[in-house]
Order: sequence, then structure tokens, then C-alpha cells
Amino acid sequence: MKVTRREFLNYCTGSAAALGLAGTLLPLQRALAASSGPPIIWIKGASCTGCTVSLANRISSSAPVDLADLLIHTIDLVYHPTLMGGAGDAAVQSLLNAAAGKFILAVEGGIPTIYNGKTCTIYTQNGVDITALAAVQVLAPKAAAVLSIGTCASYGGMSAASPNPTQIKSLSAATGVPTINIPGCPPHPDWIVWTIAQLLSGVTPALDSSGRPTALFGQTVHSQCSRKSAAWATSLASTALCNGNIGCKGRNTHADCPTRLWNNEMNWCVGTVSSNGNGADSLCQGCTESGFPDKFSPLFSTAGAPPHSSKSIKPSCSTCHTSGRPG
Amino acid sequence: MAQITIVDPVTRIEGHMKVQVTIDTVGGKQQVTDAQCTGTQFRGFEKILVGRDTKDAPYITQRICGVCPVSHGTAASLAIEHAAGVTVPTNARILRNLTLGANFIQSHILHFYLLAALDYITPPASAPWTPVWNVDLMRSATLQQIGTNFTTAVTMRREAHEMAAIFAGRMPGLSAIQAGGFTTKPTSTMISTFSGYLNTLINFINNKYVPDVQVLANAYSDYRQIGKGPGNLIAFGVFDLSNGSNPSRLLKRGVVYSTNPTSVQTLSTAKITESVTNSWYDDTTNNLNPASGTTVTVDPATKANAYSWLKAPRYSNKACEAGPLARMWVNGDYRKGISVMDRHMARALETQKVANAMIGWLNQLTVGGSEYSTCIAPFNASGEGLTEAPRGALGHWMSTSPSTTVAPNGVASIKNYQVITPTCWNASPKDTAGVRGPMEQALIGTPVSVASQPIEVLRVVHSFDPCMSCAVHVMRPDGKPVTIIKGEPEF
Repeated sequence: MKVTRREFLNYCTGSAAALGLAGTLLPLQRALAASSGPPIIWIKGASCTGCTVSLANRISSSAPVDLADLLIHTIDLVYHPTLMGGAGDAAVQSLLNAAAGKFILAVEGGIPTIYNGKTCTIYTQNGVDITALAAVQVLAPKAAAVLSIGTCASYGGMSAASPNPTQIKSLSAATGVPTINIPGCPPHPDWIVWTIAQLLSGVTPALDSSGRPTALFGQTVHSQCSRKSAAWATSLASTALCNGNIGCKGRNTHADCPTRLWNNEMNWCVGTVSSNGNGADSLCQGCTESGFPDKFSPLFSTAGAPPHSSKSIKPSCSTCHTSGRPG
Repeated sequence: MAQITIVDPVTRIEGHMKVQVTIDTVGGKQQVTDAQCTGTQFRGFEKILVGRDTKDAPYITQRICGVCPVSHGTAASLAIEHAAGVTVPTNARILRNLTLGANFIQSHILHFYLLAALDYITPPASAPWTPVWNVDLMRSATLQQIGTNFTTAVTMRREAHEMAAIFAGRMPGLSAIQAGGFTTKPTSTMISTFSGYLNTLINFINNKYVPDVQVLANAYSDYRQIGKGPGNLIAFGVFDLSNGSNPSRLLKRGVVYSTNPTSVQTLSTAKITESVTNSWYDDTTNNLNPASGTTVTVDPATKANAYSWLKAPRYSNKACEAGPLARMWVNGDYRKGISVMDRHMARALETQKVANAMIGWLNQLTVGGSEYSTCIAPFNASGEGLTEAPRGALGHWMSTSPSTTVAPNGVASIKNYQVITPTCWNASPKDTAGVRGPMEQALIGTPVSVASQPIEVLRVVHSFDPCMSCAVHVMRPDGKPVTIIKGEPEF
């Protein structure tokens, strides 16, 4: 009977946990992943590198614990222009070698289409400038899985904001290939790592109607926020209040930021109310949603996330959020 | 016999760049005899910002660059505050300095270990760091220590961002910096957590980072004579030490000309022009000042001599280098020389200087207190926000609409917006007079041992810490002239 790697890992996890040996599984999982996972080609389209910087902020008590662990033990990242050792022809050769076999494609950044894509050329091959558009149109159909890293690749994002000067398209729109979207401006490193780990263990995560893993993007920011029952703030930096009436888009934004927190649980865009302070006391701007930023602009208005009520005083939540009505 | 080598992609930079070098043997030495640096990406942020609420600018402009978002958010806030005639209160000024300082530390550590070091040391035996051009690596066994510190550096830059996030909310993509101040109210717990991180980072900077740069400079001492460039230096200054519109700064504002390297000129932004002769823009918009101008792009196929989406900023018609070396030189803190190794050393010493200054700033924070008040730019106003990104002088210029053209929520909208980034100064193409940009000049004369694997070219380029997403340019794809707009598009 053929045992899948996942079954084997689950068996090992169960046994080890029963024996109190969970910690010793780390090398096993790492070995399995590193030896048999397909290489990852990471292309940058019209981007700001924020997604890569965020990935580099990965920290966790479970493997991969950080970026170094991820790159050395978990994934085979053969092409990434910001991180890779090789340059020029040597870098291009690494990409071509991987593209000849089984690979995972990850793209950070939107895909400009104006001028046949010439506002973003990403490498030279045989003396010819290769656009991001041409590269992804070749690579995406061939990839074992295609990941849109960040909101720009997932939906167009900031570089596609009106009037979309370079006619940027999302990765899936530019290639016609369905993508697993890991949005965020930037995305949380855990979202990227979790999704890749699923793929490496042979699992394609369930996706919502925006192509995002439901396990990560199933709930609204507002529903998990420590301020959701608080009264409305009338101006920014109002300690501990709910900013839903001055521009916070948490009601219409799906992400687990209030519970996962950012940067080693240091803080998040809105800020958790606690005895140690109220964090940033600022706004969620909906960066994981298709339509960001224009749907939510002006950013300091309720565009895209109007408060429930037209009343100037926020009604008590239990007025509407009875059983069966999330919030 | 001259040959041309194209390095594309230039990796281990931020963004997209291509370098083309001509390599020939002159005086018995194979070397670079010509160089072209090409910015190969642009997105058009200036057009994206027009018509929006000014208060949106700090958030949106952060997405120009995910490595230096704090700098862009700061510059945007400063431009709006300038237009509104306000300056921020003490706590906000300090919180901005601490957040920006934390990101300087993050960026400089990232740069030396993850971006630059692999031009010199045997890489960790794993993708993505392997394979590299195995040319002239590991000249000395002393360089082992840089490899040893590599994974510690990955941790340190992550911790620098955690430190920043204490006040910033999230890094990158911070929510706390806004026109009018900084939203976070510091508590004693936040301050002591920040202090703990800062001590760890200062330890790393003093005991690992600075010594590692010294070891590298000793092993590759010929690189103190390689990669000079024009020798003109420009700094807008950063880290305000006092409140108000004319503060003293930790790193001063000024310009140094190669003809008089110990004399610091007073900066006047009126002396900044941008040439488009060799860029994909219409020549009728040539040599305009940031505060006034038009933007007309051309189809690259119709302008054969042009080779970059970057324009060529010049100061008094001189190509000028921006960056830590420029800042430390203008400030009088580092004047040993201008070269590949001088850039790395100045960057490390600047990291040390900023980190140490942050101790004092942290002590000046008032728990609670007022850090933010709503700042609304008036109609028909203009503002200038000058600051520094880790890799050099950064300016945002903004003008606001008349009352007849409001943003959707009724306030003044952005009429024009312009950014000039440090990498635009550094990686610029030739200007109208045919003078090459600083990086191109720095490449000329660089010795090359293997023409098809010009690692020496990477060493020169990386010493500038290029950030190409910042250097992208606005365009009007259909080639039609846009409405005359104030502000020089730069990205």
C-alpha cells in the first residue's frame, strides 16, 4: 500500500505527540520537504519588494522558524532576484533549469501590460529583454502550482490604482491561469509560509471566492478586533476606541491580523487594547481585499466599509448581532 | 578587443535593473570602459496620487518601496505639513525618528549581509544563495566570520523591524505615520521593550557588523580605489533634533562638490534639474526643476538613444551621489575617501551613530502626551518634504487643488505630486551634456578578471545599495501631452 508523505507525517506526528517526541519531528519534516519539494521560481513583477521583506520577518515556534530555516531546510528557492546569489546569465540559467521540470511559481507584484509589458522587463535572454508579462505567460501554465504573493499579484493592488497608468493586471488575469492568492500589502509571512507548506505536503488549500485560503482569510478583521464593541472614535489616535466611522475598513476586510498580530506579535495596524497600551491606534485599510486601495479610498472616509448605522452614536452590537449573524 | 556584457537581472538589489558594460584591455589591464545603468520598471505613482485626498499620501507612497516605507511615509507627511504650515509635536517627532532609525538599522544590516556580502564570500550551501560567480571570492580566511554572522544578521534585521513595529503598527506597511503626527501613544512597557531590542542591535552592530565591514575592507583593500564616481555628494538631512520648520538634525543637509571636498554647500532645491535626453520621455520636458514641469513619455521604440526609465537628476548640472557616505561626509563624520569600501564603511558607521542616538531619543519620549492632530492641507498650496531613505536623499513635492477640484470627501485634493529618490540620483543615465550618472561613472575603470562573469561590476553597483522601485517613473502611455502639472515626476 502506498503511503503518501502526508499520511506518513500525520502518523509520525500522532505517534510522536503520544510519546512526547513532537520536537524531534522537525528534522524529519525538514528532510522530507527539502529533498522532494519542487523548486520555487519567484518572479517579481511591478512591485515594491514589501512582500519579500515581510517574508523575511517570519518568526515562529514551529518550523520553518525564520527565513533562514525556510530557505535552507524547507523550500528550494532557486530563483528570487532580491535574494539570490547568482546574477545575469547565471541567474537566468537557474530559472530556465527549474522551468524545464516540475516547479512552483510565485509572483510578487502586478503584471503591467502597456507597451506589451515593457514597463517591467525582468531579465535578458539571448540579448532580448524579457518582460514580466511574457515570463509569467510562459511559466504559469507549466507550473505545478501558481501563487500570487501580495495584493498586487492577486488583484492588481497599489500599482493598479486608478488610473492604472501601466495597465496592470493580476497574475491570473494576465495569464489565464487560476492562482492561489495570498494578498496583503504586504501579506503576513505566516500566510505565505502556511500556504507553501500545504502545497509541499500535497494539499491544495480550500479557497474563497477571491482565491484566498479560507483557513487564513475566513473572518473579518472587525469580528476579531478588541475594539469592536467600543464606541466610535471621532478622530484618529483616539485611545482604545473603534475607528469604524473615521476610515477603518476592518468590517469589510478578511484577515486574521487582530489575533495573529504582526512582527512577532508586537502590534498590528489598528492596535490591540491592553493594559500595556493600545498599539498603533490607527486604521485597517483593507489591504487583503480585491479593490484595494480604490474601493476604500479616500482612506480616511468610510468608503468601502460603511458603518452599519447612520446614527452618529454607534448602537450596541447586540442590537443586530444575535445568534447566527456574525460580528 | 572590446566586448559587451549585459548583467540582467542585477540581483540582490531592490527592484529591477540592468547594467550593460563594455569591457576592454587598456594599458594591459582588462577593465570597464563604458557603462549603462537601466531602470527597467516603472508604475506611475504620480498619476495614481493626483485627485486623491492629501491625507492618503503617506499610506500610498509607502508602497513605492517596501524596504524604505518609513522614509516615504515621512516625506509625504512632511510635504503635507509644509503645505498646511504646521510642524509636529515633540513626541511625534521622536516617534518618527525612532521608527525611521529602526528601519535604517534593518535596511543597512539587510544590505551588507544579504545583498552585498555574497559578492565576496563563499555563499551558504543552499538555494537561493548558490550558485554564484566563483570569481575572486574568499581572498582571506578572516572572511569566514561574515559567513558565520550571516544567519544572525537575518535575525537582527527581523528584530529591527519588530522594534519598529512597537510604535509603527506593522512593518512594512506601517499605519501609525500620518500627516499631523504619529498615532501611537507610547507607554512605559513599549519603551522598555524597544530599549531591549535596541541594546541587542547595538551589540550586533558594534561587535559583528562594523568589524565584519572592516575585515572585508582589509581583504579587498583595492576596492578603496575602485568605484569612486563623480565625487559630488548630496544630502537632504534627517533625524530632526528639535521642533519647528528649521531644526537641527543628526545628519545635516548639504552638498559637497568634488572640486572642494571639505566645503559643504547650503542645499537649494532650486538647483535641481532633471534631464530626459537619454530617458524615455519627450525632450520638450528636458532639464526642468522638480517644482515645475511637464511629463510626456515616449514609446521606447521611438527614442533609440534613450536607455532608461530613470531620468537624470542633476544639482547645478552636476551628477551627485546620495547615500550614507554622502550623509556622513556632509556631516563631517566620515571623509576618508569615496569608493566601494568607503560606502560600506560609512553605512556601517552611520548605523552605529543612529542606533546610539536612538538611546537618547527613547529617553526623551513622554508617556502619553500629544502626538497627533488632524492636518488638512489647504487649497492652492504646495509643500516640500525632504528627508533621507537608508540609501540616500529623498524628496516629495506636492501641490493641492483649487477649491473647485476637491477630493471625494470635500477636502483639497492632490494636484501634482513628485518624488525624487536617492537611487534616481545614483543610477541615473547620461544627461543632456553626456555626463554619466554616478553609478555609471563609478563603473568606468573597474578591473574585470572574467568578462562573462563580472563580479567586480556587482561589487560597484551593490556598494550604492540600489532601490529601483523607488526610481521608477511616471508615464503617459499614449504619448499625448498631459495637462501641464506642477511637480517633476520621478517614479
